[in-house]
Amino acid sequence: MQIFPRHLNLLPLVIAGAATVGGGVLTGGVWYYAAPDNLQVGYAPEQPVPYSHRLHAGELEMDCRYCHANVERSHEAMVPPTQTCMGCHAQVHPDSERLAPVRESFETGEPVEWVRVHQVPDHVYFDHSVHLAAGVGCVSCHGRVDQMEVVQVDQPLSMGWCLDCHRDPGPNLRPRTEITNMDWVPDENWVAHVDEVNPPTHCSGCHR
Amino acid sequence: MSRRKSYEFQDAPAQGKLKVWRSLEELDALTADPTAARAQMKRDAEAERPGGFLAVNGLLKKTGKALAAPVSRRSFMQYSTAAAAAVAIEGCARRPEANILPYAQSPESIVPGIPSHFATVTQRNGDALGIVVTSHEGRPTKVEGNRLHPSSNGASDVRAQVAVWDLYDPDRAHQPSLAGENGRDAKTYAEFDEALGAIIAGLGNGAGLRVLAQATNSPSMVRIQAALAARLPAAKLYTYDSVNDDNSREGARMVYGRPLHVSYELSRARTVVSLDCDFLGVETGSVRHGRSYGPLRAIAAPDSTMGRLYVVESTHSVTGGAADHRLAIPATRVDAYARALAAALGVPGVQAAPTDEVPSEWIRAVVADLRETGRGSAVVVGRNQPPHVHALGLAINAHMVAIGTTVLTTPVLDESQPRSLDSIRALVNEINGATTLLILGGNPVYDAPADVDIAALLGREGLTSIHLGHGVDETGSLCTWQIPLAHELETWGDQRAVDGTVAIQQPLIAPLWGARSALELLARVAGERNWRGHEVVRNTFRAATNPASFERDWRAALHTGVVRGTTRNHDVLTIDTAPLAAALANAPATLDGIEVQFVPDAALWDGRHANNVWAQELPDPMTKIVWDNVALVSREFANELNVRPQDLIRIRKGDLSIELPVWILPGHAAKSVTLTLGYGRTKAGRYAAVAEGRPGDKMGGGFRVEALRDSGSFYFGDGFTVEKASGHYNIVQTQTHDNMEGRAIAIDATLEEYKLKPEFASFDTVEFVSTDPLWRQVNYDDQRVQPADTSLPEVLHKWGMVIDLSSCTGCNACVVACQSENNIPAVGKYEVERGREMAWMRIDRYFVGEDSSNPQIALQPVACQHCEEAPCENVCPVNATAHSPEGLNDMAYNRCIGTRYCANNCPYKVRRFNYLDWHVRLDELVDEQTGETTIPGLGFRAGSDVANFPEERKMAFNPNVTVRMRGVMEKCTYCVQRIQSARIAARREQRVMRDGDVVTACQSACPTAAITFGDLNDPGSRVSQLAARDRRYKLLAELGTQPRTTFLGKIRNPNPAFPAPAGRDGDHAAGEGQEAHG
Repeated sequence: MQIFPRHLNLLPLVIAGAATVGGGVLTGGVWYYAAPDNLQVGYAPEQPVPYSHRLHAGELEMDCRYCHANVERSHEAMVPPTQTCMGCHAQVHPDSERLAPVRESFETGEPVEWVRVHQVPDHVYFDHSVHLAAGVGCVSCHGRVDQMEVVQVDQPLSMGWCLDCHRDPGPNLRPRTEITNMDWVPDENWVAHVDEVNPPTHCSGCHR
Repeated sequence: MSRRKSYEFQDAPAQGKLKVWRSLEELDALTADPTAARAQMKRDAEAERPGGFLAVNGLLKKTGKALAAPVSRRSFMQYSTAAAAAVAIEGCARRPEANILPYAQSPESIVPGIPSHFATVTQRNGDALGIVVTSHEGRPTKVEGNRLHPSSNGASDVRAQVAVWDLYDPDRAHQPSLAGENGRDAKTYAEFDEALGAIIAGLGNGAGLRVLAQATNSPSMVRIQAALAARLPAAKLYTYDSVNDDNSREGARMVYGRPLHVSYELSRARTVVSLDCDFLGVETGSVRHGRSYGPLRAIAAPDSTMGRLYVVESTHSVTGGAADHRLAIPATRVDAYARALAAALGVPGVQAAPTDEVPSEWIRAVVADLRETGRGSAVVVGRNQPPHVHALGLAINAHMVAIGTTVLTTPVLDESQPRSLDSIRALVNEINGATTLLILGGNPVYDAPADVDIAALLGREGLTSIHLGHGVDETGSLCTWQIPLAHELETWGDQRAVDGTVAIQQPLIAPLWGARSALELLARVAGERNWRGHEVVRNTFRAATNPASFERDWRAALHTGVVRGTTRNHDVLTIDTAPLAAALANAPATLDGIEVQFVPDAALWDGRHANNVWAQELPDPMTKIVWDNVALVSREFANELNVRPQDLIRIRKGDLSIELPVWILPGHAAKSVTLTLGYGRTKAGRYAAVAEGRPGDKMGGGFRVEALRDSGSFYFGDGFTVEKASGHYNIVQTQTHDNMEGRAIAIDATLEEYKLKPEFASFDTVEFVSTDPLWRQVNYDDQRVQPADTSLPEVLHKWGMVIDLSSCTGCNACVVACQSENNIPAVGKYEVERGREMAWMRIDRYFVGEDSSNPQIALQPVACQHCEEAPCENVCPVNATAHSPEGLNDMAYNRCIGTRYCANNCPYKVRRFNYLDWHVRLDELVDEQTGETTIPGLGFRAGSDVANFPEERKMAFNPNVTVRMRGVMEKCTYCVQRIQSARIAARREQRVMRDGDVVTACQSACPTAAITFGDLNDPGSRVSQLAARDRRYKLLAELGTQPRTTFLGKIRNPNPAFPAPAGRDGDHAAGEGQEAHG
């Protein structure tokens, strides 16, 4: 007995075909696009104070470590305490409207609530100090911060991306004196001593 | 090339071989029908986790009933698909926005991310244990010993390790409270201060004031007590401690005319005789004794000399387990043995009492040994023994000229301090006319002698009682005021060790709930203008130091944790044995009826750590029981009573009576019952409170034996009657978990056997696996030294551990240190019963010998062995456990999908699985809103878990170790976080790592230094030297797993004049398993 018209006989096949192709495209799309390359890179949240790295690190040529003072000692690079800001801004633009949250924090002792930009998962134990000791420059992971009005994520910060460098650290090594230099390019005399670095590629190197 | 032979369980041990067993059931089965027993063992071995836990079918049945709706295959598919989709979508999204909150004003010396370490001190009765506490951004998270403090020498004990948990105990009192008409009213500190001010103003000359304090080791406290006596001359001060060293003080007073601290320097001792003294376990100074005992036992080579330890005791203690010879007699009869020993040695004025239960060699041979070692002897006496036995011990030591060599006597801090027992009775007798009672710490309603009714005293008309306590406990809930007591890590103080060394107790954190210390409260009452702890302690310190260098000395004392120049030389005083002879003539020496003795719990102590889940879940060193206490008896006595373990018994004396489950402890003295203090607290808090509707069978909590402990039998006493009661109580132990299926695991030998065959422990005749592995081999040798195949990864370090079974005492400090360092959860009694305990390190305790009335003990700490050919790694389908080039068996939690194949394939059974979200799970026991209890593991309430987790408990976590969640496998990592931070520190300083840069948590805690960790590629490192000792062996080496952990076989040093234990034949090394491989 024929319930549906004959010309619909092929419909199930068409649906199945479309579902397969569509599913494949969807899976492939998510696979490719929903990756840290697309989701992480470019993340630039609005901060409570419109702090400009372009101005401070770029134009004024302040060293990264003036504010991120513990980056060579601790696993945290450290967002500076309000004190550090006020060291200059007690004199420079002391009445600026945009610095009001900083002054308020300094007076009340309540921290400025900065929004985290670079975030690795909780099970990753990343250590800034050891990367600096090995001779990895800030720019390798953070990009040209000195050109960013608003800081944004420059690299995917995914495990594959970490491992690319851990397996072949040479291209990202530089003299330890040039760690914070954003413009540094290797000259022909530079030889990276990769054998001295020997970065871990096993699990407990980063996961504990 | 031959395949590995399948493992065969051996037939009955040949004549002369020792049996090794873990429980009486096992021994009986082995004796009755060896073939059937081994068949059962084999069946158990085939099950995943043999012994002691419910069969899987039963488990499923129970869980199925608890679930609201049965799960069909169809709905299972629906849910899991939805869950998978949700996870996939969630995984793609960016994580929620997070904030960074820097300091507004950066505190000096804090570098975010780098922990700070502060030296402080913790009280151990009259002694002080110097500790160094790790603080992460102001949160104390981990306690270690202070290398510079003479009581610690870098080691710590169980109680020091669990201290962090107490600090963050969610059931601490959070504010002052005042007894009102309907329960207690919360008050502010301002209200309390006002009320206290009014009370102080009305004190007059102090005639109405009674102060009940705990015995103190604090110079400041003594100073403030004197100030109180000066200002309020009519006020009366009492001291009480449920566990105290009064007998030792009084014993010294008997023969020296003044109370003294007696401590032991055992590294100089060749013969040690312990008279009911658990000096490696619960006695004061156990860490100090451990450090000096280690060298006594850790024999380096067959020709080295080795000390010998004799223990006479009633219960089977940690020290008894370490003994070369152990005599089990009731505590009452230790007196008679001491007299006989003294008389045989010729101590003047001592007559031997009849000692029919003591074998003759226990006098003859021990005396010969003591005479031979002379001043290298030490007779140590336990705190439960009456003063005249302590005096007798001192007399023997003086006779051997050992005082000043192995036995040190130092003056006590406060000679006027009364005996606890006298003092608490005096408080009750002198209460008339009292208007104010100040209870400075302690919990007398719970732990006072049964004939001293503190509860009635607190209910007196017109008495204002103020209780300073950890929580609103049994005492606090009956007092007018209850004030939160500051934890030792929160408050200023000073403490003096038995050798006179003063250390400043400096706080790591501001009092979490504004809590006050006993010192502060008393200083306030005593009229100190600056009553804050910091000022009081500084003023005491100022008086004792040169004013010119005060600030510098103060800072130095805070820095090192020791006040320089306070360690006293011991004094050798002239002994006068005349009062001793008189006391001996009066003291009864017979045992009447059944004896009961009371001992503190190794972890809960007198009950103060009862709400501490780390302490509760720590297996007892001997019985391996968790979450409960029991009445320990010998097997003969249990047969006499016709009871089996876990049956309830009733113990009575006069009007006092308690019921609790009985447990057979092999090696316990006959006609004697040992009861453990500290359990059965009704108001301890949510984790341990014994309450109506809370099934102890499932949740533990134990029994309050203090109800049986009156002044007449405060330490021990006879004349008790014991009978079988009706009923049964479920006791959970870890003993039969992780059974090693009859193989030779913990290997021991006598000194003679060791001399005959120094390599007795290694499996030199074992056929190793000779088939080639399926994976690429790694050469772990140092590539700088031996440039080998360049295609292999470069390896600098080869991490390894050595555990010396000869010096391990099984004290458990390592187990709980590991728990604290690695964020290991406690799971509760019910889950331990199912074999789900999480401790990464366990201490296996084996009984050795055929004589269940006095077996020997073999102990073995077992954690992940970090096999080079790890069986767990080959079976992981997702490569979540893999090898690092330095030989660590890594665990990547985020890769783990929870198949548990690895745990099944691990021959050492050291892998632990998070069946549930344990940290949170424990807090589901009691719902805070409804107060209803749920049995963990059965009543799952989705969604509520994290919300129930107390905020302050999160502060105890080590931020450098992942907090694992449900569904993840975990195990010992060799403290990889410590290795990495040491490596990073070395890298920062542009140097190579040195020996000693990495100290694992267990190694750091161990009092006897039985655990050593380091780089096996460094020939100069301590660990490689120890790993090369002739006593070395690898656990189950015949499996070819090539473990990185090396054990050093235990050496016993029995006196040849004693008969060998049943079955031991003199010329063969080690136990039955040796034969299995020989």
